[in-house]
Amino acid sequence: MQKIYKLSIIYFLSFSILLIISAVMLFEQKIGFSFTNVLEYYMGNEEKFIVAKSSSGILKIVLPHIFVFGLISMVLLHFLVFTNHKDKKYTLLIIYLTFASAIFEIFTPFLIINGFEFFAYIKIVSFVLFLSLLVYISYLLFSSIVYN
Amino acid sequence: MRFTLIKDIKEDKTMSLILKGFLVFILLFLIADILVMNSSFGISIQKINITLFGNEDEYIDPITKASFLEFWHTQIFFIMMILLSLSAIFIRVAKRSRVIIINILMISAIISLIALPISFYVTSVFITIYATTYFLWHITAMWMILYSYWKLNAKNI
Repeated sequence: MQKIYKLSIIYFLSFSILLIISAVMLFEQKIGFSFTNVLEYYMGNEEKFIVAKSSSGILKIVLPHIFVFGLISMVLLHFLVFTNHKDKKYTLLIIYLTFASAIFEIFTPFLIINGFEFFAYIKIVSFVLFLSLLVYISYLLFSSIVYN
Repeated sequence: MRFTLIKDIKEDKTMSLILKGFLVFILLFLIADILVMNSSFGISIQKINITLFGNEDEYIDPITKASFLEFWHTQIFFIMMILLSLSAIFIRVAKRSRVIIINILMISAIISLIALPISFYVTSVFITIYATTYFLWHITAMWMILYSYWKLNAKNI
């Protein structure tokens, strides 16, 4: 791979880290990282004047995220093809985990508002797992570019 | 990103046409972005200051933390995708000074995105840095688009 492409990818990784930081801050600000926070955000809380979310309201938030999660996962993961991590078993595991955690992160709110409160835990776990995987993929790419 | 693998884009008229169409759309996006920012968030230091911190005299409320974070989050995503696509095309058609141009574009865009939350959470001094780097990366990107378009049109690339 040409040096200039490597430079471009390193900048893309920097943007990805910024995106992840902003996602964490936004999640903390709007929802919160505890089980109660997640439940209150989706189910509502009269004492705290939090309105319960409807399916259509969640769908409006979910819609751009379906495209964006797929796109960012694909872009980051496809760069792995150009590194030494290509064709490794753990790469396959990372690919499956990334897309699976993204799907859970996106669709668990629908289950939460339909009474499956346990999925508030899954929502938090999948969010943390998805972002952690993006950070790990970024690290793999960065180390491949810098050290190879 | 198939075009990154084609040896001579000039010879591939179809790919050249597709890339030119894409460049036009990136240019339109950048122009629209400036217009929308002008009427909403602001592009002047004074307007950005009012948007972020409000104005008691004019009864304008400051932006909420959640709205600010949503705005920042969206900006990062769009900018990273636009700049990745644009730099991939520019790298293929430009030969001279491409490293410097890419560095100016990316560094100014990253600084603008970092300066924005610092101005909101830490000190409003960074609004000047945000506004300056915002225009710097827009101008650089527009120059790259026009240069790439001209190169794709030229007989000898």
